[in-house]
Amino acid sequence: MTGNSNEPLEDADLPAGTDELLEDVGHIPTPSGLSANKTDSPRRRFWRRMFKNPLGVFSMLWFLILLVAWVWPELLATHDPFKQDLTFTRLYEGPSSDHWLGTDERGRDFYSRVIHGAGFAFRSILIAMTIAVGVGVPLGMFSGWRGGRLDRAIMWVNDVFFSLPIILLAMAVIIILSPSLDNAMIGVGIAMSTRFTRLTRAVTLQEKEELYVDAARISGLSTPTVLARYIAPNLLSSLIVQAAIISGAIILIGATLSFLGIGASLDDPDWGVMLNRGRNIFRTEGIWQIVPPGAALILTVLAFNLLGDAIRDAIGRDASNNALTISKRVDIAPSDRPHRPGALLSVRTIDVEFPSPGKEPVQILNGVSLGVLPGKTLGIVGESGSGKSMTVLSALGLTPAPGRLTRGSVQFDERDVTSLSESEWQEIRGKDIGVIFQEPIAVLNPAIKVGKQLMEPLLLHTELSKAEARQRAVELLAEVKVPDPERRMDQYPHEFSGGMAQRVGIAMALACSPKLLIADEPTTALDVTVQGQILDLLMDLQKERGTSIILITHDLGVIAEVADRVIVMYAGQVVEGGLADDIFGRPRHPYTKALLDTMPQNHHGGEGDDLAVIPGVVPAPTDWPVGCRFAPRCQYATDRCREEMPVLEVLSDGVIVRCHHHEELSGEAYAGRGEVSL
Amino acid sequence: MTQPLLSVEHLAVHFAGRGRLFSPDPPPVKAVNDVSFTIDSQRTFGLVGESGSGKSTVARAILQLVDIHDGSIHLDGDDVTRVARSAELGFRKRVQAVLQDPFSSLNQVHTTETIIGDPITRHLAIKAGDERRERVADLLDLVGLGHEFLDRYPYEMSGGQRQRISIARALAVEPDLVIADEATSALDVSIQSQVINLLREIQRERDVAFLFIAHDLEVVSHMSHDVGVMYLGYLVERGPSDDVYAQPTHPYTEMLIASIPFPEPGEQAKRRGLRQTFKVAEPPSPANLPPGCPFENRCPVAMDICREEMPAVTQAHHGGEARCHLHTSGPELGGGSVVEFIRSEARGNVGV
Repeated sequence: MTGNSNEPLEDADLPAGTDELLEDVGHIPTPSGLSANKTDSPRRRFWRRMFKNPLGVFSMLWFLILLVAWVWPELLATHDPFKQDLTFTRLYEGPSSDHWLGTDERGRDFYSRVIHGAGFAFRSILIAMTIAVGVGVPLGMFSGWRGGRLDRAIMWVNDVFFSLPIILLAMAVIIILSPSLDNAMIGVGIAMSTRFTRLTRAVTLQEKEELYVDAARISGLSTPTVLARYIAPNLLSSLIVQAAIISGAIILIGATLSFLGIGASLDDPDWGVMLNRGRNIFRTEGIWQIVPPGAALILTVLAFNLLGDAIRDAIGRDASNNALTISKRVDIAPSDRPHRPGALLSVRTIDVEFPSPGKEPVQILNGVSLGVLPGKTLGIVGESGSGKSMTVLSALGLTPAPGRLTRGSVQFDERDVTSLSESEWQEIRGKDIGVIFQEPIAVLNPAIKVGKQLMEPLLLHTELSKAEARQRAVELLAEVKVPDPERRMDQYPHEFSGGMAQRVGIAMALACSPKLLIADEPTTALDVTVQGQILDLLMDLQKERGTSIILITHDLGVIAEVADRVIVMYAGQVVEGGLADDIFGRPRHPYTKALLDTMPQNHHGGEGDDLAVIPGVVPAPTDWPVGCRFAPRCQYATDRCREEMPVLEVLSDGVIVRCHHHEELSGEAYAGRGEVSL
Repeated sequence: MTQPLLSVEHLAVHFAGRGRLFSPDPPPVKAVNDVSFTIDSQRTFGLVGESGSGKSTVARAILQLVDIHDGSIHLDGDDVTRVARSAELGFRKRVQAVLQDPFSSLNQVHTTETIIGDPITRHLAIKAGDERRERVADLLDLVGLGHEFLDRYPYEMSGGQRQRISIARALAVEPDLVIADEATSALDVSIQSQVINLLREIQRERDVAFLFIAHDLEVVSHMSHDVGVMYLGYLVERGPSDDVYAQPTHPYTEMLIASIPFPEPGEQAKRRGLRQTFKVAEPPSPANLPPGCPFENRCPVAMDICREEMPAVTQAHHGGEARCHLHTSGPELGGGSVVEFIRSEARGNVGV
């Protein structure tokens, strides 16, 4: 537990604006790191969600009642459903203490007949579903797995059956065999199997492409094994949802057939038969005879559908994990550290917390500070879970829900922006801050021409007319060196390669001539030769426009190429920061040094040599050590490191470092670099 | 000379396009063309290339996951180009793989014991039970995971832990060859080095050869004894990894090296200068390859012949091969390194 909010403001004692440093302090685990930490098995999560959903609980309760009514009707029924009482006065009786729902035209207890009706409904489902699943699932699996011509032939026949009215198929079976509800359900089962064939085939086709299926095949597992043990379990959830909804339809069809007089026999306590009888007499006896079977039918069909929905919701992903949901603002304790004079963006000692149910909130950023000077590039480097993206998002008012910014202050362009409202932020972010994302294709709308998407921010944030905006968009594309920009304007995103799409992403970020450009892993998804071109482009643009850049990356090589200053983050804290030359030339923090050592670029030893490693993994935010967070993985760690968290210290050359032993490291110039071929 | 463990000769894989009804089929995508290399037992061959280079398709072809258009593959002298169904089980026992994505290459619904145990049951006929569990536990020891992982599901593990499980699964049946397709690419730097060291350690301890595929030449050359560089389906250079890295004989290899960001600003500034001598251009589509060299439009030293004729494979100074006209036309490097030539040309062009 790391919510030690009383921890000293580690850099509070730093001289303000220790020249051009981006002093940072903070821990930064991401929300994904948080959720990975709670080990909730999918099965438990499923039931927890089912019971939290009122509609799910309702449908489950209703099925419990129906189940009892089916298996053990005597428990619920008060009378024999077939026992007639033809005394004239006992016909069409209204509800009474003896007959809760009254009696029918032969004086039989209506309530008991409705209860027994559940048995008919379930019997119908059982027959039809056995056939539908028994035929549809194996056929769909076979067809999807096999593929090719046979697959197309099977699906063609399947589609023909799919298009036939279900009742027509049921009637055909009744004509061939004999009229009975069971026989009709055989027809319904055949008709419904086409739904399962389609679903199963679709899922199989999709799962077939999954890597773990390849892995199973490479393992040499036989096809039936792969289908039964690898594909079927992943099919199960879709099947259950589909089966629940189809069950509702089957009941409805059964009732329709009985209602038409070709399903259950006229004496059976079937809901459809009862409806039919009620309809015959409702002019003389009123509509009461329709109500109980009708209600039972509607409720049951509804319950099946609700159950299907509830299961689907319970299986699905947690919508609240969407990282782009911005959290509500809360009271933010001010930072006691002055802002860096002259900085475009200055962030001082921000804390971000994530609530954890029933426990103290988990602090995932604490006291992070950074500063970006005009026209300069700040690189933030760290492994996944270090909190580098979280820092920048939080500084720009985009703390992902349910995280909350609880301490610190942010100044942008000489203005305190710590507690701006979302609409005020939107104005700044759209105009003065541009963002470049990791997956350029994912940011572009695939259905809209690239040119139009490029014009959007211009029309929104500037006074340009449509024609002027188009002209400007063409210029922007030319500026990011997209060849043939006029023609490219009218193309769709899928016509762009990854590198070209990222150029469009940069053009979009630059559209309103922002003062600050945030680039979050801008080249991680690109090929290495394209990465170089994109970095060159960014550097050229910076030179021409004087834009400040914050570059977030896990790649120290990329940082070395473009950053003027660097901060290194680990487990939600800044552990080291300074000029790029100092950080790479003489790393003072063991983590920075270890990161450099692990890179194969820094290792050109003999054949038998292993790479240097950092043992263990980055701990989850809930498991952060009390002392130095890197201590469990650090070769220099002592007892002091395990007990006392080091503060950020400013060294004589302006480097900041958070380590009790930085003196031991700073004595030696970094010697890990090997000979390179250039 | 002893027979290589794996020998790939003139391998070609084409993916047929399927046209709409009544319209002609589009031209096939030529994913792999005329690729040849060998791997000796207990050695590692690295394949490096960018997306679309066909390196993963080579792996999938060897693993019998795609149809082979042309060429042949031999394992210990046996033809395994198209393995018959009856022989598949034996083949699978000998060739295993570790795939890229640690999140989707393990089935979420099974525990470690089952994931690693299934191939054991299949190939070694050891049914689920104490003996199999013990074997799985031994494999966990080998990949550096505790026995508490036996009953864990993939969703309870980190990326690095999952990749160790994948490695244990591949080694479960004691294969002769393990194909690692981008096995470390999705991992954090500090975890990547752990997994690379693990693979090297396993090779020292067990009699296994690797085909190590990645887009990062640094990682590949560190892992491999020999390395092959692919570009648009062609193997453009092949040779001992240290030599290829230090004295490349193909301009594309030089471009790859220059593109890897070096974690030191001064050194990186030098690399950037070299990198910028290469032209910014989109590579051609593998469905519509030009008649000449596919690298021609990005090559700083391209000649007329490069536009017209596909270069043939020539012997390189490091004992491997290169597929570049420079060795037989123009400067006639004759298999020598292209480094000096490209730099002097580049200096000439920009007037340095």
